[in-house]
Amino acid sequence: MSSTTHGLGGLKYDPKKRHRPPELNVFVALVAIVALFEVLGRMFVGDSFLFNTRDKVDTLFNEQRLKIIILQVSIIGIIALGVTQVIISGGIDLSSGSIVGGVAMITTAFAQSALNEYGMENVKPILGAEWLDLPIIVPLAIGLSVGLLAGIINGLLIAKFKIPPFIVTLGMMLFMRGVATFVTKGRPISFLQEDYVAIGTGMNPVFIFIGIAIIMHFLLKYTKYGKHTYAIGSNEQAARMSGINVDRLKVLIYAIAGMLSAVAAIVMSSKALTGQAGMGLMYELDAIAMAVIGGTSLAGGRGSILGTCLGALIFGVIISGFTFMRLDAFYQEMAKGIIIVAAVILDQWRAQKQAAKA
Amino acid sequence: MKKSILAASLTAAVLAQVPAAQALTIGYATHHFDDKFSTILRNGSQAYAESLGHEMIQVDAQLDVGRQLDQVRNFIANGVDALIIQAVDSTAAGPMSKMAAEAGVPTVFVNRKPTPLESMADGQAYVASNEVESGTYQTYQMCLQLRAEGKSGGARGYLLVGDLASEAAVQRTIDAEQVVQLDMCNFMEIIGKETAMWQRNEAQDLMTNWLSTGEDFDFVIANNDEMALGAIQAMKAAGISMDDVVVGGVDATDDALAAMRGGDLDVTVFQNAKAQGEGAIDAVLKLVNGESVPREYYVPFELITPEILKTHPELSK
Repeated sequence: MSSTTHGLGGLKYDPKKRHRPPELNVFVALVAIVALFEVLGRMFVGDSFLFNTRDKVDTLFNEQRLKIIILQVSIIGIIALGVTQVIISGGIDLSSGSIVGGVAMITTAFAQSALNEYGMENVKPILGAEWLDLPIIVPLAIGLSVGLLAGIINGLLIAKFKIPPFIVTLGMMLFMRGVATFVTKGRPISFLQEDYVAIGTGMNPVFIFIGIAIIMHFLLKYTKYGKHTYAIGSNEQAARMSGINVDRLKVLIYAIAGMLSAVAAIVMSSKALTGQAGMGLMYELDAIAMAVIGGTSLAGGRGSILGTCLGALIFGVIISGFTFMRLDAFYQEMAKGIIIVAAVILDQWRAQKQAAKA
Repeated sequence: MKKSILAASLTAAVLAQVPAAQALTIGYATHHFDDKFSTILRNGSQAYAESLGHEMIQVDAQLDVGRQLDQVRNFIANGVDALIIQAVDSTAAGPMSKMAAEAGVPTVFVNRKPTPLESMADGQAYVASNEVESGTYQTYQMCLQLRAEGKSGGARGYLLVGDLASEAAVQRTIDAEQVVQLDMCNFMEIIGKETAMWQRNEAQDLMTNWLSTGEDFDFVIANNDEMALGAIQAMKAAGISMDDVVVGGVDATDDALAAMRGGDLDVTVFQNAKAQGEGAIDAVLKLVNGESVPREYYVPFELITPEILKTHPELSK
């Protein structure tokens, strides 16, 4: 791209007119929110938000807080990574939260152990005694397949039957929530085996989130898959004319999104040591919000994984910041709502300014 | 619909081998099928009704006030003999109560209290457990335990609140806050109070956020067991010994009882769903027979501690 901007059609390359990466604005917003909590904290709570003020430990930062800021958003963050590419392609995915619920129930049903963490016997196995303590690969493969399958069905219905993504994924959202409650008629699943529990312990959810983020960043930025995804999001007709197999690409995009929801389900149920039918409720909206705050345009064609990661971090900072300020959760929800709308307004304002300059 | 209900009641009458004149068809409108507590409640109710030779038909409002209203209207139109309603919203019970009263169908509200109680028509009854007990038993027992551990010189702790849109979360929170004002328990100071929406995962993250403030604390009160378990998992992950913290929940779920046997959870409170379900059937049958029934009937909550759990008739298994 950069070579073609030189001297075409009488346009001169002007470094001042170069687009500032939109992620930079999100990053500035993140820093501003952190700074706000730091100042407010020192004024009203008498403590630092970022820095360690305790004499017990010898670190500069409050590491525990930095860890929870990212830990508490890494599960929804994993979903948001898949949702970001769906939105970039011009679609939407409302089914991700319900896929989390469905996959969490199915996976944990296959991940039960004969003994629990206290060494007590599992007297009511979900699938019967012969299905206990299976090799860890079995529940993982089943869980990921269910997510993948749900995503493929989403993609096929959207691509082949030309049903709007909103409707298809709304249907899948209801269907998978039904699956989640069907598995045990709403009874929660516990007695998970040690190998399974190990997946979500400590900071593992964060490592999984960052690992997938790097892969997705690479996929969207440097591969044909990624370039075509941006292309169909910008102008689907033009992309089709230029020979992109739009249908196949869409199936692939939703399949990846479905599988990432399944990953989130596995990490979440393993972290909470339980599978519950209500898991992932409304997560689809938080995931979309993270992408939007990160600069992904719901009109398609614009957005990035880096932006979504920053969007997720803003969420994490807000949650921890409000607890730090000892403010109740409904203020959090109000703040999140305001930030989402503000992010879009700023984004449009910037786009208009850029259009005026060019 | 009417035919199927008639057919069902006839089959039930034949199967149960009781005089057909006494076999009643009871419509049971639940707020949500997925809720575990309500599942025990309605299954207990149904088993008891069937053991007495009556037929029970269940419908699920899926947490939708409008849908529940239509379902109750349908039940009345199809001529059920009696109604048991677990209202989606306690303040929306009034219209259903009025409808049933006008149609002359004996009606009992179960588990969720029509608010205000005056919105419940004359001759109807409300069967539940009183939430004033749950949070009070829980926090008072924690107070006793902290005293027994010699911490009556001052103890600090956190309060995990359920979904603030639910009456149980509000009442249990009030209970806890009142107990810590008693002369005997005012050594307890609540230094943080936030909602974790009844969820284990959210409680886990919230507790970790609290731990990051570095405050010392001695107890964690949770409005339900799931949140108590989330807090326990977060504290264990941070290397805190569960012997040093008194943790209390409400519900006595299977997971919570396992954690109690394992020495992690100190206090929970058992709401006897089965007894509520059977109480509702008893009340509605009395109403059908024209006997008088108290407007409010409360099945007591039961305090559960590791000691009590060992010998509890239903939970010790």
